[in-house]
Amino acid sequence: MNIEKWGSFSLSSGEETDFYILGDLRLWLKHKDEEIWIGHRYEEHGDGERNTGNISETPPKDLEWARWAPKEPTDSVKLMPVFPDLPLVINSEFPLRVNPGGSIQIFTRIPVWVRISIGKKDTVLTELPTVKLSRTWFGTPIEGELCYWAITKARRSLSNVERKPYLVSCPIQITNKTEVDLDFEKFCFRVERLKVFLYAEELWSDETRIVYHGEEQHSDISMSGRLPKGMENARLISPPRKPVQRSLATRTFKKIFDESFLFGK
Amino acid sequence: MQLSFKIILILVISIPVLLLLRRWARNFFTKKYAPHYGMLAGKLVFYTGLTILVLTIMGQLGLSLAPLLGAAGIVGIALGFASQTSVSNIISGLFLIAEQPFKVDDIITVNNTTGVVISIDVLSAKLRTFDNQFVRIPNETLIKTEVRNLTRFPIRRFNAKVSVAYKEDISRVKEILMDVADKNEHALSEPTPIILFDAFGTSSIDLLFLVWAPVDEFLKLRNTIQEEIKARFDKEGIEIPFPHVSLYSGAATKAIPIEIADTKGENTDLKTSRE
Repeated sequence: MNIEKWGSFSLSSGEETDFYILGDLRLWLKHKDEEIWIGHRYEEHGDGERNTGNISETPPKDLEWARWAPKEPTDSVKLMPVFPDLPLVINSEFPLRVNPGGSIQIFTRIPVWVRISIGKKDTVLTELPTVKLSRTWFGTPIEGELCYWAITKARRSLSNVERKPYLVSCPIQITNKTEVDLDFEKFCFRVERLKVFLYAEELWSDETRIVYHGEEQHSDISMSGRLPKGMENARLISPPRKPVQRSLATRTFKKIFDESFLFGK
Repeated sequence: MQLSFKIILILVISIPVLLLLRRWARNFFTKKYAPHYGMLAGKLVFYTGLTILVLTIMGQLGLSLAPLLGAAGIVGIALGFASQTSVSNIISGLFLIAEQPFKVDDIITVNNTTGVVISIDVLSAKLRTFDNQFVRIPNETLIKTEVRNLTRFPIRRFNAKVSVAYKEDISRVKEILMDVADKNEHALSEPTPIILFDAFGTSSIDLLFLVWAPVDEFLKLRNTIQEEIKARFDKEGIEIPFPHVSLYSGAATKAIPIEIADTKGENTDLKTSRE
């Protein structure tokens, strides 16, 4: 079954398993001998299309299970969406230019991670990405940070876009405060300080505002803490991974590598 | 008697305190910063404390520092000649600490030895090799020879030499290699993997496949990606040629005439089909 509702679930006991599909993730859970058993697989697809039919709910015989012995016996687990554990380098499928002084709002959709926790204190058992993203380096060969790599459409509107329960929609406001065009091909999106909201049965994050001051300058980044105007009554379901800061000044758009360096033997 | 008791009391109290302080400084700086700074802080605390302790005991014994320093000049020259190597190592150690070509926990290669730095001491640096051997390298050697720090920077590039048969379509080979890098979990998407046309080899076309990985996953990348290239080439029917030699009898376009002499004395000339 697809995860349609996030929250707590009672697990089947004994050899019976509960099966969930989210993105590429196939998740099997069971409660056996007072332990929580978790097994997972990822669907491999070379053509970019996800297989939605003919999926067996029975766990494969060679599935590797991870077992947890909770402090207090429980047959209930909580499945919640959280942002990935690293920033993402977002690549626009088609480059977009922001004119000097211009300000645009784009929407990008990011695959969430599933956090599996138990107990009143929400003790985290594990976190699993719904889609395995490759990793990339954002910075120079001497310093920088490890990020995930995601290709998005950088849409101006999300109307008429197919709903996908494993994607969180992120509104981003980009302002170009320089005298030159901002060639928005890719940027580092720091998702660790974003919250996850549930709005109209879809996952949303609070709005990120990025002010670009030039390639050699750090960009100002701030998280509004709420959804864009007109999206009231959203319910906060996951807090950010890192404490929210009013604003950050960090490298966001800087180009990384000198080609002559890369091609050297 | 009273003086001896006093000195013993100082030693009994101060040495454990000094050792405790050294341990605390080492643990504190290791946790807060890095093992390298923990080691330095521990040494600083220990040697400073030891100097103070020696001076205190000398004070108790009524020994003045001034005549000792005077004598130290003469003794120093004598000792200097006698312990040139040790002094050189000590000074080299100071340079190593100041210059910091490597830190504790870095992986370095010195001459043909590669290992993890365990400690940088007054006279030598200690390494643990990957087959779990202990290697002591004098500080002087480290200053004089080339030291390669394999973990200094956060990412590393693996240069894979890939050879394919002359008959293969190079653009297709490149596509396959890029797909292998894309699917490898240790390869980074950026810096983008690069394929360089290296050479027309004697038996093959040689390509260089340059792929980046986080420094702590470099070995995993090296192990996995070569296996994956082989498996993928096998699946796609791309030939990885063995070295081979073509023999020509004067002209490349003409076949070699072969003559077989049978044992019964009946000679038969066999010629290749081209003739």
